[in-house]
Amino acid sequence: MDGQKSYQRYPTIKIRELKHDYAKFELRNTDASVANALRRVMISEVPTIAIDLVEIEVNSSVLNDEFIAHRLGLIPLTSERAMSMRFSRDCDACDGDGQCEFCSVEFHLRAKCINDNTLDVTSKDLYSSDHTVVPVDFSGDVGFDSGEEQRGITIVKLRKGQELRLRAIARKGIGKDHAKWSPAATVTFMYEPEIHINEEMMETLSLEEKTSVVESSPTKVFGINPHTQQVEVVDPEAYTYDDEVLKKVEAMGKPGLVEIYAKEDSFIFTVESTGAVKASQLVINAIDVLKQKLDAVRLSDETVETDDQFGELGAHMRGG
Amino acid sequence: MVVARCGRPRMEVAGGGCERVKVLKAKGLKGFAVSTSTGEVDKQFLAAPIKSAVDKFQLVPEFLKIRGLVKQHLDSFNFFVKTDIKKIVRANDTVASKFDPSIYLRYKDVWIGKPSIVVDGVTDSLTPQKCRLSDMTYSAPIYVNIEYCNGSYGQNSNPQFKKDVIIGRMPIMLRSSSCVLYGKDEEELAKLGECPLDPGGYFVVKGNEKVILIQEQLSKNRIIIDTDKKGCIQASVMSSTEMTKSKTVIRMEKEKIYLVLNSFTKPVPIMVVMKAMGMEADQEVVQMLGRDPQYASLLLPSIEDSAHEGVYTQQQALEYLEKKRKKSQSRFGKDDGALGVLRDIFIPNIRMRDNNFHLKCVYTVVMLRRMMDAILNKDAMDDKDYVGNKRLELSGQLLSLLFEDLFKSMNDELKFMVEKLLYKNNRSSRFDISQHLVKDSITIGLERALSTGNWDVSRFKMHRKGITQIVTRLSFIGAFGAMTKISPQFEKSRKVSGPRALQPSQWGMLCPCDTPEGEACGLVKNLALMTHVTTDEDEAPITSLCYCLGVEEMSLLSGEELHSPNSFLIILNGLILGKHKRPQLFANGMRTLRRAGKVGDFVSIYVNEKQRCVYIASDGGRVCRPLVIADNGVSRIKHHHMKELKDGIRNFDSFLREGLIEYLDVNEENNALIALYEGEATTETTHIEIEPFTILGVCAGLIPFPHHNQSPRNTYQCAMGKQAMGNIAYNQLNRMDTLIYLLAYPQRPLLTTRTIELVGYDKLGAGQNATVAVMSYSGYDIEDAIVMNKSSLDRGFGRCIVMKKMSAVLQKYEGSCDRFSTPSKSQYDAEKIQILDKDGLASPGEIIRHQDIYLQKECPVDPKTASNTHPSQIKYRTSKQTYKGAEGETPVVDRVALCSDRRNNLCVKFMIRHTRRPEVGDKFSSRHGQKGVCGTIIQQEDFPFSERGICPDLIMNPHGFPSRMTVGKMIELLGSKAGVSCGKFHYGSAFGEPSGHADKVEDISETLVKHGFCYNGKDFLYSGITGTPLQAYIFMGPIYYQKLKHMVLDKMHARGMGPRQLITRQPTEGRSRNGGLRVGEMERDCLIAYGTSNLIYERLMISSDPFEVQVCRKCGLLGYINYQTKTRVCSTCKNGDNMSSMKLPYACKLLFQVNFKSFQVDVCHKLHLLVLKCRLSLFAVLCLNDILS
Repeated sequence: MDGQKSYQRYPTIKIRELKHDYAKFELRNTDASVANALRRVMISEVPTIAIDLVEIEVNSSVLNDEFIAHRLGLIPLTSERAMSMRFSRDCDACDGDGQCEFCSVEFHLRAKCINDNTLDVTSKDLYSSDHTVVPVDFSGDVGFDSGEEQRGITIVKLRKGQELRLRAIARKGIGKDHAKWSPAATVTFMYEPEIHINEEMMETLSLEEKTSVVESSPTKVFGINPHTQQVEVVDPEAYTYDDEVLKKVEAMGKPGLVEIYAKEDSFIFTVESTGAVKASQLVINAIDVLKQKLDAVRLSDETVETDDQFGELGAHMRGG
Repeated sequence: MVVARCGRPRMEVAGGGCERVKVLKAKGLKGFAVSTSTGEVDKQFLAAPIKSAVDKFQLVPEFLKIRGLVKQHLDSFNFFVKTDIKKIVRANDTVASKFDPSIYLRYKDVWIGKPSIVVDGVTDSLTPQKCRLSDMTYSAPIYVNIEYCNGSYGQNSNPQFKKDVIIGRMPIMLRSSSCVLYGKDEEELAKLGECPLDPGGYFVVKGNEKVILIQEQLSKNRIIIDTDKKGCIQASVMSSTEMTKSKTVIRMEKEKIYLVLNSFTKPVPIMVVMKAMGMEADQEVVQMLGRDPQYASLLLPSIEDSAHEGVYTQQQALEYLEKKRKKSQSRFGKDDGALGVLRDIFIPNIRMRDNNFHLKCVYTVVMLRRMMDAILNKDAMDDKDYVGNKRLELSGQLLSLLFEDLFKSMNDELKFMVEKLLYKNNRSSRFDISQHLVKDSITIGLERALSTGNWDVSRFKMHRKGITQIVTRLSFIGAFGAMTKISPQFEKSRKVSGPRALQPSQWGMLCPCDTPEGEACGLVKNLALMTHVTTDEDEAPITSLCYCLGVEEMSLLSGEELHSPNSFLIILNGLILGKHKRPQLFANGMRTLRRAGKVGDFVSIYVNEKQRCVYIASDGGRVCRPLVIADNGVSRIKHHHMKELKDGIRNFDSFLREGLIEYLDVNEENNALIALYEGEATTETTHIEIEPFTILGVCAGLIPFPHHNQSPRNTYQCAMGKQAMGNIAYNQLNRMDTLIYLLAYPQRPLLTTRTIELVGYDKLGAGQNATVAVMSYSGYDIEDAIVMNKSSLDRGFGRCIVMKKMSAVLQKYEGSCDRFSTPSKSQYDAEKIQILDKDGLASPGEIIRHQDIYLQKECPVDPKTASNTHPSQIKYRTSKQTYKGAEGETPVVDRVALCSDRRNNLCVKFMIRHTRRPEVGDKFSSRHGQKGVCGTIIQQEDFPFSERGICPDLIMNPHGFPSRMTVGKMIELLGSKAGVSCGKFHYGSAFGEPSGHADKVEDISETLVKHGFCYNGKDFLYSGITGTPLQAYIFMGPIYYQKLKHMVLDKMHARGMGPRQLITRQPTEGRSRNGGLRVGEMERDCLIAYGTSNLIYERLMISSDPFEVQVCRKCGLLGYINYQTKTRVCSTCKNGDNMSSMKLPYACKLLFQVNFKSFQVDVCHKLHLLVLKCRLSLFAVLCLNDILS
């Protein structure tokens, strides 16, 4: 082993698509461990704010108290502040009982149905003590403005005479403790596929055979150019590594007609957020959290002591 | 014993299997529809419409709409209430005094009112929900009109009349015609607090929902040919009339034929019986048997036998029989000797007029002939397990038995009372017979029978237990299961496989899947979806119709003609009506009349060519099902019929009325050739199935693609579906059941079946669609364990609510009663009363913990004296009720209900609610009999994910598939996956592929490919831990998972120190008493074998019940320590010189003291033997006690 070899790489990110709650980007020049670490942190360690404690004053609805508390907890709250907030367990201001402005946000909900129509109590009925922490508003999103008035996430439905009155306290937390604190709806990545078509061999195929090759893939990866009648890769990322094309080619007796490899050092990330933080912010926060975690490893005394064990890697971790 | 059942509702049944059920009787079947000239057949063939499958499925919901799923119970009960009860009262309508016949009471009419209750003299109407909540019985008054006369003691002897006299209360079946819910629509039902999806068919007795199980029995009044224990062939008839019930057996033993009857001490020769009935000439008997010499030669030994006995005349025969008769027979009052026995007990179902035994002779000869047929040809034996030979006894019949008994008892009591009063001559008040009607006996009798399930009707020699069962409300489907359950006639311990095996004649009538495992396997059955159970129908019109159609009456025929080869016997409900020369014509005529609605829909006409009989049945308890009639294989139902049905112009009844559909019972099915599908019909086909999936019952109907599963798996699921948690009913939150399991977010299955939609399982589901990855993960998934995703659990997967009821009564005493007490803050146990409200009751919404007091009341210290003291001076003591729950659990008081119970005491009921999320050890199951416990719970980020971002909710080990062969589960996964991607529910009804009620795998795969999935349902997954792709493609998609009621929280148990039993000082037993785990005999044996004496010592002594005793070395008996003098004393030797102390198990000491003291046994010598040899438990101590004393 070459002792002087550096493990350092310079990952790059190329953003493909960025919406409020959706992001797609390429992560290159790194390996699966880093990509996966990023994914894992996004799911379970980026902090958000979610309702954690519910005090029910009146509940004459059909759902019981625990049921409503559980539903409240799962409502995503805008959590841009979460990174700067304190965990209530290590909040100095309130000794951890979670009632101060540094670590908690108070919500109130008062709803009573007085007429014959069913009243939907939704996340819009939650009144926050902090205007920066409110239930996520989906009304602007595509797919939600279907003509009707968007009323947020339904908590419970009330009929005439039923009432719901409660106080809720939202706290900062991470997805590891409970899924309600996870800002990620979907975080996933895939290896970027590298598809080679052996043009020479392809030329030998009839049009029928070409279409059968194209259609053997359940996703639309290949297409036939209407002008040149050539098989070409339409969307390599639609490929789901299902090997169907390869099997087809094999069955046709033309191995090597199409070759597909996974690029081991580049990943295509898809991030969808619950709306608690922006998708872009989610990635950035995740990187921050990841950095903090690495810092914690680097700064701990043990790390210094066991430096010798880590050798080159230890130096690498310290920024060398 | 587990008996493998060959229940294989397979697809191939569609192809070839149906012949075994339906035997084609081609000859003459075409009779009424086809013209015989050959030239026309061709034309007809050409004119016949092109066969195209009409989707007859719509008939099923239509059928169920008018019928409901528990129609058999409702019909039976309605029949009882409307017809049977009147018959019973009419048959016993007069109660007259023995002394003075002018004193009498006569019932003129009887009817059941509306459900009501009388509270303090005020009649209040009842609803079922009210009864459930306040532990009342949902019953209605039985009204009678009476005519009575109080005798002729110089007073007026004109009959007096009373109307609307209540003689008792009849528990009312929910949704029956007497129920308030009858004919109500959904909204009205909701107003009455009732769930519209609830099928009814049960009773509410003392607040409990009780269902009378369907009882399976061998049919009554029919000749059954079988063999006895010794292998002798016998013909038996279980006769049952209003008057008597008896069993007549004619048996062939050592070539001689005997009659076995309970009234005779031993079997009597049959020819003697024939002679006693007036057939003195042997030739007559032989003539009746038929000309074939085979029969005569079989009878010959019997004829010789009777000659040998010297019996030639009727008189001699009767004298002979008289000698064999059991003497103690005074049940009918008069004793007519042997003739009386022959008249009343020998086949009493054959009615006689004026001691004319001709019909009985004929019947006996028919029995003989059938028996001889069986001797000559073993095929003629009857199969006792054949469904056509069975009758199902339903609630109406059982209740009518009970009512008849109680009604007669009431009349007897009335008579007794009247006579007792009349006996006393000096009557002070005016005698009034109507005043002595006791109305409690019927009410109490009915209520007791329903609530205990014990049918003790000594009048009919009926002592049966377990007739009723509580409706299991664990799940919605469980309640249905109880309603369709058929309980067997035999005791379950019988180790015979015959009755347990799946009978081919069960097809379409009884579900082939739904049966319990274990001892009742195959004996307890369930009805199929479309089965109907008949009720009794009047025989008289059918009899006269038969004669109109050319049946020659029996009494007009000579003996020779009885078995003449050119005609068939016509038998109606086991009674021989006569003969007919053209049976097929006759049968077709009857059938045509039935289709025209001139005869009852459920009358069955069955031509048995082998026995040369036409059986007509109109009795109750036969199972039957609707089938589409086909003429020459062309279905009578055409497209326009179905369209009219869809448009609402038609309903099921009109199909029935117009003769498009008819009900066939099991026997008549033998005369039909039933095609499974229209396309398979040939010209010989007479009927076409409506839908093949209706051969399954309700519970098996939930399984998607059951025809792709190994059969036992479907049976397992039928048992497990009843334990699944979900929604119970729409009124589930208003119920106060002892235990309710609910699911927080129940879903309807993505892969549904038609049955699911029909029964309403899609509205009251019991499970959730979980995304399942079939792969190995973490090693915590071996032996069927499943790995669950923590985030899914966080989001509510498998979350359930358990509600338990606790109740308390505030007792009333004479002059005083219990009362609520206000808790005070200064009480010594103030921390325990935190959840109490001001009234001393726990307030709803409070978290209740272990040892918390939920009710505080005051009871009078001395309730006996309280009646004499002033209310303000009664002394009270406080009494508390504490909650005993698990430590660390946080249940909540859900509801508190106050009501008055039956004794008018104030009753308080608390519902305690506990929300649980799944934990390691909770039991889950898919709908394919694949149960497993949660093995571990793992963070979402560690779970595998696909590049679409899909992450499974649970991981199932692939080893569950190969041995179980639940292919249906795989197809369910595929279908659900296609369903979620295209946004449509997919179907998986049993055998549904040909008719489009189940999706084909090919189509499903196409849908999958269209939405970018691989056709085989496998996905490319990445490891959540490393981020690298998994080595294999993973079969992943949604499967409907049920959470079963077995949860660790209710079962886990461990103890260190804890309570001990009072007498033995050994640790208590059982989880509920926080007991220890017993080191039993076998465990002890192991330890001995291992030589771990110290461990035995520690387990059996130190950790159990160590005790130090003082033993006298001299006399060997136990002594004691005198604590005042601090000396040890032997009570026998009266001194303490030779005392030693030693350690003993307390139970051992007990043994010595209780038993050996009187024997003066030397303890020291016995000790080492006892202690070392075995450690006696209390049980052993008690046994010894018995032996010694």
